[in-house]
Amino acid sequence: MSEELRGPDDEALGRRLAAELPRYTAPARLRVSLVEATDRPRRPAWLVPLITAAGTALALGLFMLPYLPRIEPTDPMQQVVRAVVNEHSRVLMWDARQPKIIPGDLPWLSQETGIDLRRAFVGDDRLTFVSAEPVYLTRQRGLAVHYRDVDGHLVSYIMLPAERSFAMSERDRVAIDGRWRPMLKRDAGFVTWVWKQGDVACFLVSDMVSRDDLEKFKDYFVRVRVATEPTIAY
Amino acid sequence: MAADADFHRQALQHLDALYNFAVYLTRNPPEADDLVQETYLRAFRFSHRFQPGTHLRAWLFQILRNTFLTFYRLRERETAIAEDGVPDWDLPMFHDTSTDEGGALEAHTDLERAMRRLPEEFRTVLLLAEVEGLPLEEVARVMACPVGTVKSRIFRAKERLRALLKDYDKK
Repeated sequence: MSEELRGPDDEALGRRLAAELPRYTAPARLRVSLVEATDRPRRPAWLVPLITAAGTALALGLFMLPYLPRIEPTDPMQQVVRAVVNEHSRVLMWDARQPKIIPGDLPWLSQETGIDLRRAFVGDDRLTFVSAEPVYLTRQRGLAVHYRDVDGHLVSYIMLPAERSFAMSERDRVAIDGRWRPMLKRDAGFVTWVWKQGDVACFLVSDMVSRDDLEKFKDYFVRVRVATEPTIAY
Repeated sequence: MAADADFHRQALQHLDALYNFAVYLTRNPPEADDLVQETYLRAFRFSHRFQPGTHLRAWLFQILRNTFLTFYRLRERETAIAEDGVPDWDLPMFHDTSTDEGGALEAHTDLERAMRRLPEEFRTVLLLAEVEGLPLEEVARVMACPVGTVKSRIFRAKERLRALLKDYDKK
């Protein structure tokens, strides 16, 4: 469009618009509110990049979490207790992989695990035998025998060859019936009696962590301990 | 922070011009208030995008008009849907505004009344080019169209305005 469109009438109308069209002035309160808004302290410029970077780092951390090295207990005893508890948890959820019965399958179990049971606790009025199976924990073969008590608690009795590093600390020992002094270890919501019988490290695991349950668990330890005699088979 | 304060001070110098433009766009002073506030809010937030040396007033007019088109037209459309129950998607872009003032700002002169009846595109070019005296290049930038289109709109807007004024004279 060219300038020839702007005739004298157009220019006059333009001048009339500029001169006669009422102009509206901004109300004072609008001016005040805008000035106040500009005086308000603003968010620091570094805040948004910082929050973004922190969010990205958090997301990356969560993404990489499965690949990060796990913090393992440095105490050898704690490591083996954790392995025993993990095995107990597995059985609690999915049952035994190769359930065998004792004493019928003891020869096979002894051959597979390297642990012989000269005497074995096969259950009584409080504890019912569930199954026995070979296990492989902390790079050792072992034997696990599972019981269930009258309240439904699973109790796992796990036997492994005692390594040289297997040391019973005096601090965790608990006297039972004035005759035995096993260690009581707690891990991941489970309690474990730990003791050594000859060259065999023995573990009795359950989720009986409350004070009342712990008293019952002491009784189970006694029942199992007196009726079972594990030895290294070969 | 000093640069920000300087920018705020310069921007606020154009408050009256922006408010006047907003009143003619919305035809409603409270809405004009909101529109101007929103315009300044955006201008301050995106002040880093303003290129020093260019026309600050034109930049502010551009933000105001874009905000108006984004929010106020959308709201007008939503109102139309709510009242009629039928969406009026086929509204022409250059439709004349209603003669019913609907309790909004009262027009004092025939010229003002005629201006309000112009479509937004015609009103905007006349306000920016003739009333505010912006160069055509700046008007084109505000309206995001070529300078030729601006000239054409001014011509047609004045034609329409003259016709409306003639009608008022007859009455």
